[in-house]
Amino acid sequence: MAIVYEFVWQVLHVLLHIHRTLITWFRIRLRNWNGRLWSRALTALIVPMALSFPNQKNIVPAPGKRVGRRYRWGADGKSLEKLPDHIGLLIAEEEPRYTDIANLVVWCMAVGISYVSVYDNYGVFRRNNSRLMDEILKQQQELLDLEGSKQLCVEFLNNGTDKQDQQVLSCQSVLKVLSPDDGKLRIVQAAQQLCRAVEQRDKTSNDINVTVLDSLLRESKSTPDPDLVLKFGPVESTLGFLPWHIRLTEFISLPSHVGVSYEDLFSALQRYASCEQRLGK
Amino acid sequence: MSWIREGELNLIEKLSANILKAGPMPKHVAFIMDGNRRYARKRQVERQEGHTQGFDKLAETLRWCLNLSIHEVTVYAFSIENFKRSKDEVDGLMELAKQKFIRLLEEQDNLEKHGVCIRVLGDLTLLPLDLQQHIARAVVATRTHNKCFLNVCFAYTSRHEIANAMAWGVEQGLIKSSDVSEALLSRCLYSSNSPNPDLLIRTSGEVRLSDFLLWQTSHSCLVFQSVLWPEYSFWNLCDAILQYQLNHRPLQKARDQHREGQALQQHEADRACLADLLQHHGNGKPLDAQRRQEALLNYTASREERVQDFLGALQHKRDSFLTDLTSQAALA
Repeated sequence: MAIVYEFVWQVLHVLLHIHRTLITWFRIRLRNWNGRLWSRALTALIVPMALSFPNQKNIVPAPGKRVGRRYRWGADGKSLEKLPDHIGLLIAEEEPRYTDIANLVVWCMAVGISYVSVYDNYGVFRRNNSRLMDEILKQQQELLDLEGSKQLCVEFLNNGTDKQDQQVLSCQSVLKVLSPDDGKLRIVQAAQQLCRAVEQRDKTSNDINVTVLDSLLRESKSTPDPDLVLKFGPVESTLGFLPWHIRLTEFISLPSHVGVSYEDLFSALQRYASCEQRLGK
Repeated sequence: MSWIREGELNLIEKLSANILKAGPMPKHVAFIMDGNRRYARKRQVERQEGHTQGFDKLAETLRWCLNLSIHEVTVYAFSIENFKRSKDEVDGLMELAKQKFIRLLEEQDNLEKHGVCIRVLGDLTLLPLDLQQHIARAVVATRTHNKCFLNVCFAYTSRHEIANAMAWGVEQGLIKSSDVSEALLSRCLYSSNSPNPDLLIRTSGEVRLSDFLLWQTSHSCLVFQSVLWPEYSFWNLCDAILQYQLNHRPLQKARDQHREGQALQQHEADRACLADLLQHHGNGKPLDAQRRQEALLNYTASREERVQDFLGALQHKRDSFLTDLTSQAALA
């Protein structure tokens, strides 16, 4: 009997995998077709899950159009009931595509989000900091027709010190590149620091509370906790992303960062804008 | 039994359960039981009724978990943030909890028969004294049971849990600051006697963690379901378990990788501490490779002994707190 159950289980999982693959395939295929009606009909017939089929990806338009887009995106941001102060982009996929991530970062900043964090659980982005930075500057130029760091500026914050507060104030948006070491390891280091303070009689155990720990774990006094994390990829987990900071973070999953469009991002932001946080009440 | 509904699965449910069990099953599931008040509004009943139905649903869900061979369940019953609610609602919830714990104590024989161990995680000192005493009696009475485990988070937030763990870690002076590690912090949390949850389920469509098990669920499968908690069904649970099974392999890989990283960090930390020690207390002569290796092993062993003593003292402190409460209750 156990063999029968196992067989049925295998069949079930094969079907689920096929289903998932079909959805991804359709998403990529139909994205390139102009006929939205056709893609919607097909979706309704074949795919039981609701999907968003973004418009055809824009090829590089003339400079006038780029400036127009920049203002449109800014206006989109203002039209939302609420916009996250700090958005996290959690890439839970094996191979990151730097161009797509750079696009996401640039769109987030254009829409008016002040802090953008990028995270993967292998620490790839941390190690390839400069490559990501180059890609973002390139896409800024490409998408928004902004040279260098005219309006949007990107600051990398790694274990910030107070002097970085001043640099941050001069920037409209701030980018943080995170890895698992910024999560539990940082909490452990804060614990060791507090321990040493007690050993040296600078503090007592009664002085250790949520507020003290929170200020130790904050990069800089002005950096807010992530309000929204967009998770890209099939794995349903935070994968070690900033455990302390995500107590009230909304999590929205998107299938993949590969070929992601502005419309994907904006519909996630719309979903965020409609959620209600009761904060325990 | 009031906390675990009696009954068996019907034929179709049993069939589905057996199919699911052919694959990897979560051993520890955590629930954020959200949606009681929205359910009450929807059904146009009193809020308190929504919470009562929520408790009944918990009893039913625990029965399903046992049928699915899930032997450890953690639930988020009451957050420290929930004290912000109206006095009426908070009092109502405290009264409900008190009644349920009293009822639990009346069913001790059943609890023993099913081997149910109840633990309550949170800062109990924030609760009314009589509720603390009932909780203490329930926990102490079921302490030795080991067939299935129910952890109820009451007056809990993850941040308080982490901060408290640290505070006690330094208080006694039983450990050095360099002994503090991820593994040690995990053992200081309220959930130290449980493995990390494999699966976290939140109902009612909200997609946040609300300060629940933030440390413990960093590599758990998160499933957000839109059903309101009092309307939760066996099929919702099966759906969540299916999600867990689909994510099992990548999560296992991520967890193993994290563990390897941890072990490496610990090794490096031990070496750094040893180097420090030799510098301060050594006789200035550099050690050869073999002596250094021996010294490292000795250091690691002494660190682990310190940590064990410390954890023993912590457990003793927690046990005494509960035993003192029960003797207070007995005297009253």
